Amino acid sequence: MAKTLSAKTLRNSFNQWFFWNGCSQQAETMLGMAFGQSMSPVIEELYDSKEDRAAGLKRHITLFNTESQVGSVCNGIAIGMEEQLANGIGTPESIQEAKVALIGPTSAIGDSLWVATIIPLLLTISLTLSQSLTNAVWIGPVLYMLVYPLGTYLLSWKIFRTGYKAGLEGVQQFMATGQLDKIMEAVTILGLIVVGGLTATFVNASLNLDIKTTTQVFDAATQTYTDGVISVFNLDNLLNNVFPKIVPLALTLLVYYLYSKKNWKPIAIMGLILVLAVIVTIIGFIPGIGAFS
Amino acid sequence: MSVLQMVLIALFIYLGAIGSIVGNTIGWYCLGRPLVASFVVGLIMGDVQTAMLVGVPLQIAYLANVTPGGAVAWDLSYATYIGTATALALKGTVDSTPALIGLAFTGAGLGGVVGGTMWGIHYSLDVFLNRWAERLAEQGETRKMWMPNVLGGQAIGFLARFVPALAILAAINAAGSSSGLNIPGWFITGISTFGSMMAALGMGIILSFLVKKNIHWAIFLAGFVLVTYFGLNTMAVAIVGIIVAFIVYAAGNRQEAF
Repeated sequence: MAKTLSAKTLRNSFNQWFFWNGCSQQAETMLGMAFGQSMSPVIEELYDSKEDRAAGLKRHITLFNTESQVGSVCNGIAIGMEEQLANGIGTPESIQEAKVALIGPTSAIGDSLWVATIIPLLLTISLTLSQSLTNAVWIGPVLYMLVYPLGTYLLSWKIFRTGYKAGLEGVQQFMATGQLDKIMEAVTILGLIVVGGLTATFVNASLNLDIKTTTQVFDAATQTYTDGVISVFNLDNLLNNVFPKIVPLALTLLVYYLYSKKNWKPIAIMGLILVLAVIVTIIGFIPGIGAFS
Repeated sequence: MSVLQMVLIALFIYLGAIGSIVGNTIGWYCLGRPLVASFVVGLIMGDVQTAMLVGVPLQIAYLANVTPGGAVAWDLSYATYIGTATALALKGTVDSTPALIGLAFTGAGLGGVVGGTMWGIHYSLDVFLNRWAERLAEQGETRKMWMPNVLGGQAIGFLARFVPALAILAAINAAGSSSGLNIPGWFITGISTFGSMMAALGMGIILSFLVKKNIHWAIFLAGFVLVTYFGLNTMAVAIVGIIVAFIVYAAGNRQEAF
């Protein structure tokens, strides 16, 4: 009789992966130990002898990595193949090959669609709510704390089930339809518009150059001329008349350039922002030409 | 801060870290996000309003800080819990919101560097757990496979997070309660400027995730001028974005949409 995994084992395996996939991340096998742990209930149900179980576990503690939330599809596929193997279909090597082949595409989809797009977008909407509703600032974090983990759990479970049912070919066929690309493009456009709005709202940067001169100023109240300080050249005002908030925009584009074209690390860019902040602060305090003087 | 408050914050620094016991979805991607972290610190310290005042700018600056890969030079959980706690503990020494935000970023800088080091230690020590897992697998111990991963990984993770975090919090608390603390005005101006420029970090890096073709720059600029020329708030910009995204998606699936 063909062996079929029980629903309880599938759920158990998924939960062990979902909650503990990152517990022992390291350079040698990445998420290997966590993957092995999540496969242990499957191996236990499928194989009875100590030798078969040992062979099964050893297959799954080797190098493995993915974006774990979307990457649950790999677990689903591996479990489906393991079940077939227990019924005499396929080879241990083909399971290994499938896992290795899935590392690249699932990491790429997970990181670009879920981690780098959906999470920032959801956070943006939540923080916008907190910022707009000043007498209910808790609403943003509370919304995020409910929607993100629950939504991700359900999605990750569905993807896991899909991997188990559709198998490697089924998942590869879906990825080849281009449906994912269309969703990705729409979400990217939403992200770009929102990031444009956030940049204009939240990034502030001034050059603090405001050349002043002491001159005779007409005082209307007393109808006399007195000594007064007036601004003759305010660089920030001039630039904002050309294009509002051009300095914050330029700073943002500089960060983009350094990160994506020059491969600077975020911490190095942070250091640069600190240095720039010190420079414009010093300019601001220079007597006669600084905005704060 | 009372000892209990410090212990609770340090505990959440551990929970919000990569690979904590509650999992990355609840931990790193939720409790570890600045928006949630500052809310939690606000609840613990009894001042949610002030905590969110610094939480929103922290979230924007670190919006792009997402990759839990092997090269985390910057530990977000450490950074934002410590940053918010710093702002709340020292709020009596400053009198403006930008200065408060500046204090939060200064604390976050300190916390992030320590956290990054601790992650490095965690990541290196975990390698030895592989030998344990191999031994268990060799014996076919399906019921014990959780031990190296969860028990071993978390013992190391907890020690690398909780203990140093508690020490930093105690130091901040000592600084906040010493009556002689007088932060000079030029320093406040400097950190306020730094805090307001940091939003560019998040926006610039998010752009490098999103921009894939030249037309994307035009869409980004459209969002920008909706605020600068049309005066929309960020919620309104988000709604315009949802409408445009839907149209683009529908156009991509013309048969189904019309």
